[in-house]
Amino acid sequence: MRILAFASLAVLVAGCGAVERASAANPPESMTVAQAAVPAAPPLDLGSLETRLRETSAIGLMTKLTLRNQVDDLLNQFRAFYAGRLETTLAELRHPFNLLMLKVLSLLQDKDPALAAALAASREAIWAILSDRAKFAAMS
Amino acid sequence: MSKQTLPILIAILAAPALAADDAATRKDLTSVIALQGLPCGEVVRVETQGENDHIATCKDKHRYHIFINSAGRVVVEKQ
Repeated sequence: MRILAFASLAVLVAGCGAVERASAANPPESMTVAQAAVPAAPPLDLGSLETRLRETSAIGLMTKLTLRNQVDDLLNQFRAFYAGRLETTLAELRHPFNLLMLKVLSLLQDKDPALAAALAASREAIWAILSDRAKFAAMS
Repeated sequence: MSKQTLPILIAILAAPALAADDAATRKDLTSVIALQGLPCGEVVRVETQGENDHIATCKDKHRYHIFINSAGRVVVEKQ
């Protein structure tokens, strides 16, 4: 059977990676010399995270597909929000995002704690993409 | 090795693997039901009807038909 295991979450993560790589390659012109001199935090290895999410045995196939469905639903909410078709706020969208992250983390924490920790560490980076119209559009 | 011994040996060796698969499916379906926010507790029995098509019986006696529909969505129907 052809299953794109965890594809949506992987795409979400991969999309974040693509945007971050693009941002790094083209720093905003307004960036000052002082800002540029500040050592950046180590970049998230989102490509690796994507692969690990897809391949982890900590989550079963049907569960991965269910999560993929829920990620798709969340992304559709963001699309509708940015298109003006959904009357909500980013603060309200944060709740389903947090809930979904918690679901994934709870599934991973016992059998793949390293991946759970890596995902938890990426949480704000992923939210930063989702909550930025331009970055989200670039990801989509 | 006699002709009778080989099938018995294969059955003995295969049994743990089958049991492990079954436990993995039960756990997988338990997670699916929980992700949908439905009551279950824990899946204790699975009847597989086809590829990715199961009837799950929960510890609390709830029964669910869990399958992947044509749109690629996991569907959980209460029985």
